[in-house]
Amino acid sequence: MNGSGRYCFLAAVVVYGLSATYSVFLWRKGFRQGDRVNYGLLLLAAILHTTAMFQRGISFDRCPVNNLYEAITFVLWTMVAVYLVVGLWPRLRFLGAFAAPLLLCVGVFALMPGLDNRYGAQPEFKHDWVSLHAALILLSYGAFGLSSIAALMYLTQEHDLKFHKMRAIFSLLPPIQRLELVIRRLMAAGFVLLTAGLVIGAVWLKLPEGVGYLEDPKVHWSILVWLLYLALLFMNWRFAQGGRRFAWGAVGCFLFVLLTFWGVNLMSPIHH
Amino acid sequence: MAGRLAAIRPSSFLNMPIVAIGLSHRTSPVEMRERFAFAEAKIPEALQTLRSRGVAEEAVILSTCNRVEIYAATDNTDRSIFEALQRFLVEARDYRGPLHEEIYKLSEPQSIEHLFKVACGLDSMVVGETEILGQLKKAYDLALRHKHTGGRLNKAFQRAFQVAKQIRTETNIQRGSVSVGSVAVELAEKIFSALQDRQVMVIGAGDTSEKTARALLSRGAQSIIVSNRSYDRAGALAGELGGRAVHFEEWAKEFEKIDIVISSTAAPHYILDRARLEPLMKLRRNRPLLLIDIAVPRDIEPEVNFLENVYLYNIDDLQAIADDYLQQRREEIARCEAIIREKVRTLAGAERPLHFTSGSRPVFGHE
Repeated sequence: MNGSGRYCFLAAVVVYGLSATYSVFLWRKGFRQGDRVNYGLLLLAAILHTTAMFQRGISFDRCPVNNLYEAITFVLWTMVAVYLVVGLWPRLRFLGAFAAPLLLCVGVFALMPGLDNRYGAQPEFKHDWVSLHAALILLSYGAFGLSSIAALMYLTQEHDLKFHKMRAIFSLLPPIQRLELVIRRLMAAGFVLLTAGLVIGAVWLKLPEGVGYLEDPKVHWSILVWLLYLALLFMNWRFAQGGRRFAWGAVGCFLFVLLTFWGVNLMSPIHH
Repeated sequence: MAGRLAAIRPSSFLNMPIVAIGLSHRTSPVEMRERFAFAEAKIPEALQTLRSRGVAEEAVILSTCNRVEIYAATDNTDRSIFEALQRFLVEARDYRGPLHEEIYKLSEPQSIEHLFKVACGLDSMVVGETEILGQLKKAYDLALRHKHTGGRLNKAFQRAFQVAKQIRTETNIQRGSVSVGSVAVELAEKIFSALQDRQVMVIGAGDTSEKTARALLSRGAQSIIVSNRSYDRAGALAGELGGRAVHFEEWAKEFEKIDIVISSTAAPHYILDRARLEPLMKLRRNRPLLLIDIAVPRDIEPEVNFLENVYLYNIDDLQAIADDYLQQRREEIARCEAIIREKVRTLAGAERPLHFTSGSRPVFGHE
């Protein structure tokens, strides 16, 4: 285990936990009051999280994405950073209430000791392209994550409207059409980042001796993820498959990424 | 309306007491209220009479469809002031019918508390409505313009307006929609990013559909298409709403561009069912569609709500939301009353505690 930054990240996860607890309160209250408290908590968590990443990054002067722990913290950091920008619009601030439980769960998972493998004082980077490749792909997962959180918010609001729940009217959640736009934009941003990351990986990175792209499970997996998101965006754009199906697609795809990401990493000779 | 008239104390907190007399929707039917109602043009003359007879030093007459009230400041600390005011009211309106407990008479501090409650909409038929505040301001302005108010009523009314503002910002008494039209607007705002570029179709030119369409237009809906069995009626309503009319047989052709439908025909069967809507949704590229069915019997088959991106609300659904809002407002009454009592106390500046009555209604004293 590499010690630097872990305590700060632990503190950030504790604050994510507080935010998740407060989110339950907001949920039970039907999202009738503003979400400044949650925004403040996530801002505090983001500061701690950023500090943790800086401590880790500065220690070897590179973007900290060398093992699963660092990769997951990077994805979570991206989600929080984008949320803090999106949350400047008061009604979209409620995304925090949906994001906090996910941040807490994935954060606790990242803290598992087995994920933070030692790689020495300096990571074995051949050149900067590796760092850029990893960072872009992890940023894309962050965007997909936030898109799926917006989709959860959409599904909640859509269900309430469809079944005439009073919460649909009384809550301060944004209109579903705007939420669909947020899902689409975040997903498109994630897709562009993922494409760029994969292209960099395929074109500029040199593989170790005796290892090929075609045999690597993570390459297959990444292409599958890319195709899934491409299909979702294409169906949405070309065949007007919006609304609930699109939202479920966003949630489903990210759930797939979340559940298989670590396993595929462990199976990949290139990435492990 | 049981209760005894609170005594007018010579040492009232405004030196000369403010009294209130009147009748409202709580105490009298509309047939009686309309007999006592003052036309706006006649109010200055009535106020002049009231003062020239020496009944009151200062006076304001509030006359709306739900209440007719006189607020008066007077040197007369005797109970006979109420007799004089009632006599004036009866004679001014030439009322000859029997009077039992319809007219309430309030002295301080209940009169001030009542004024504050009226300003805040707590005494209104729809609790928390804001129209009454505008009507009260208008009544006060009329009296002020004709110099029938002085220091006492000016202070009391100005404070009433301040309290109304405070209540609006600090409580939820005015939150939410309590009419079918405004609930429909709220629903639309929960579905669509903005109402500015939304197209509305009205099928069946009824009164409620017209009000709902007007509410949507007031929030920026782009255009209205009206379809009615009588094309002339559709044309007339479309003209009033600044939209256009289409023949009843052709409304489905317009559906491609429509985002919100308000339906209120007198048809005995569904005019829109799932089989008919499904292909229309494909034409609309599955954009969200809000259907508001305010017809009885219903115009739209409930099954359409199972279609994706279709949101159907009938009159009962809208009424349930409005009632829930109203219930929330009622729950806020206690908070509002606490603020009002505090403000009356502040206005009084009296060290002696004032004797308030509990409950949401003022105690109506009767001679």
